[in-house]
Amino acid sequence: MSNENNRKTWAQPWSYREGTIVTAAILLLGFALQAAGGGIVLRVAAFPWNLVAGLVFLALLISAFVLWQKHQVMKWLGGVKAALPAILGFTFLVLLMGFVKQDVEPKSALVRLLGLTHLVKTWPFILINLYLMILLGIVTLRRLTPFSLKNAGFFLNHFGLFLVLFSTALGSSDMQRLRMNCYEDQTEWRAMDNSGKTVELPVAIKLLNFNIDEFRPKVTIIDNQSGQIVLNKGKNQFELLDRNALDLFGYHVDVEQFLESSGKVGDAYFPVNEPGSAPSAKVKVTKDGTEISGWVCSGSYVNQPEALKLNETHSLVMLPAEPRKFSSELHIQTKSGKNIKTTIEVNRPFKVDGWTIYQLSYDTEMGRWSNLSVLELVRDPWLPVVYFGIFLMMAGAGFLFIYGKPKNGGTEHVA
Amino acid sequence: MEELNMWLDFPIYASVAILCWLAASGLFLSSGKKVMNQLAAGLSFTGTAFLLIFITILWLHIQRPPMRTLGETRLWYAIFLSGIGLATYLRWKYKWLVSYSLGLSVVFLIINLQHPETYDKTLMPALQSPWFIPHVIVYIFAYALLGASSLVALRNLFFKPTEKTITGPIQMADNLVYLGFSFLTFGLLFGALWAKEAWGHYWTWDPKETWAFITWMFYLVYIHYRFRHPSEHKRAMTILAVSFAILLICWFGVNYLPSAQNSVHVYSE
Ligand code: HEM
Repeated sequence: MSNENNRKTWAQPWSYREGTIVTAAILLLGFALQAAGGGIVLRVAAFPWNLVAGLVFLALLISAFVLWQKHQVMKWLGGVKAALPAILGFTFLVLLMGFVKQDVEPKSALVRLLGLTHLVKTWPFILINLYLMILLGIVTLRRLTPFSLKNAGFFLNHFGLFLVLFSTALGSSDMQRLRMNCYEDQTEWRAMDNSGKTVELPVAIKLLNFNIDEFRPKVTIIDNQSGQIVLNKGKNQFELLDRNALDLFGYHVDVEQFLESSGKVGDAYFPVNEPGSAPSAKVKVTKDGTEISGWVCSGSYVNQPEALKLNETHSLVMLPAEPRKFSSELHIQTKSGKNIKTTIEVNRPFKVDGWTIYQLSYDTEMGRWSNLSVLELVRDPWLPVVYFGIFLMMAGAGFLFIYGKPKNGGTEHVA
Repeated sequence: MEELNMWLDFPIYASVAILCWLAASGLFLSSGKKVMNQLAAGLSFTGTAFLLIFITILWLHIQRPPMRTLGETRLWYAIFLSGIGLATYLRWKYKWLVSYSLGLSVVFLIINLQHPETYDKTLMPALQSPWFIPHVIVYIFAYALLGASSLVALRNLFFKPTEKTITGPIQMADNLVYLGFSFLTFGLLFGALWAKEAWGHYWTWDPKETWAFITWMFYLVYIHYRFRHPSEHKRAMTILAVSFAILLICWFGVNYLPSAQNSVHVYSE
């Protein structure tokens, strides 16, 4: 350590000082490039150029390693003293993302110029990623030669992360994420990308039926004057109408009748099942010996909600029911000649011809009467490589779990 | 029973657990006798078991995994942390660590007692996935392990240890970090695989994801630093303490950050 302090910067062997300088230079260069470009959002070239670039990168990395394996700088690049500042530099960018809301319109000229609201698509992010990949590549190669099974955990962790970074960076431009609005009984094959451009797909989708399964609605107490939900110790208090009696704020509520789907006739609600009908409940509310009964209804896009006035200050209201599950029955036809009927829902997408079809949303205004289903179609040809990297990392985590810290405390391979 | 808010029973279970744990810590710290230590271990286990019973009943009652609100995750944390404290005691006989972790579990229960939950049975469709339970359990387990490791760090920062007295605890910190970090990695990767099923992309830099990633990176720094500098204990302990501070931001702080409005991960109170 003592000669480390006397060592001139850039005199061998390099240490944290050089690591910090290199990382800082990369970040500064990145931000400078970003600002010089006027804050443009970057995109990696699409297939096949990303593949070519990736292969060239791998070839250069491997030949540089083979050629200069014994060189001091190569040893430094494969060591912790280059790695730690690089990891911290990357962490710094991610911290920025943690504080600045991403994917929104920049609020100031400086934020726009530096690309702080779109950090993952900026020069500093791409350059530091590249640097990390170089370091990870070199450290992996260093531990692979000579080959030893003892390094299996190390290899899985580092090469796994390398693959994930490599494939997500290169694949980002080949990934398509499109939104498709499907109306019941209409066939749709056009979808919109992020920038609002319409794309024609080799897949045509007809929405046969859109279904929503709802939770029972919740009830709560509002203040008559402000119309706001009354807070209890700073929190909203809700109760789900899934039982016959409940307590809310000192009010005791007996549910005398609950109608899943109802319409108002005169002063009362009756079961009906037509577009726009809403849940309602007949309740008896008691507090301090006074008793009030009447109907509450959450209302819908055609019907007014109905509140039950309890006294001068409070009313009982029913909130719109929340979806438990929503699903779309689809008829899918592809250019390749496939003809499929299937149902998709959230967490249950469907795959066809390289596209994955997700249930995204619906017309929330109309709730369960929505005849619109919003689908998301995703094509991500690099996904298998990403997943392979993820599985390597999982296996690596398994090694960490089973073997823990290396017994010799790292003294064996120090660089 | 049906109309009783389940959390109303919580003070009973929590009080029993707190009493057991306080008694256990007292016994661990005050007595050197083997019988007393065994009694303490038994008490500490009883406290944890009581909470396990409570959370099982709660789970059955609300018909969804109780992993959605901050109060619910604090409950899991108290369970795992006390369990890990006991396990490390049984494995390595660190009495101070089990006492600290029981103390921290007591703190989490007291926070829960002071902020009674109104429970919410609804669970949005995206969370209704087979990934939900493994993702959350693995994460909270990781947090509990890393929390225990940060106790080692704090102890070393405050009670200036000597070269001799630090070797044991720091090895324990390493063991806890390696275990905790492997769980953290699993949590992160499970989250990515789940996100792909639910939202079409494995990583969207949602604020919670971003902070979880930052937390992961800090522990990564600790692991690499320790690997390269096995005898620089003081700095390693500082890195460990900072990492835990970041973990706490990720867990509690994200809800309050301006970057986190509309995040799917923000726990409801
Ligand atoms: C972010 C990019 C990373 C870089 C640049 C990096 C770099 C390094 C370097 C240079 C070493 C020392 C190797 C030696 O001197 O022989 C090392 C060791 C180690 N790294 Fe990483 N690493 C990275 C990510 C990771 C990840 C993601 C994990 C775990 C999931 C990990 C776990 C380890 C472990 C456990 C060791 C100790 C060596 C051993 O177990 O044999 N590293 N890393």
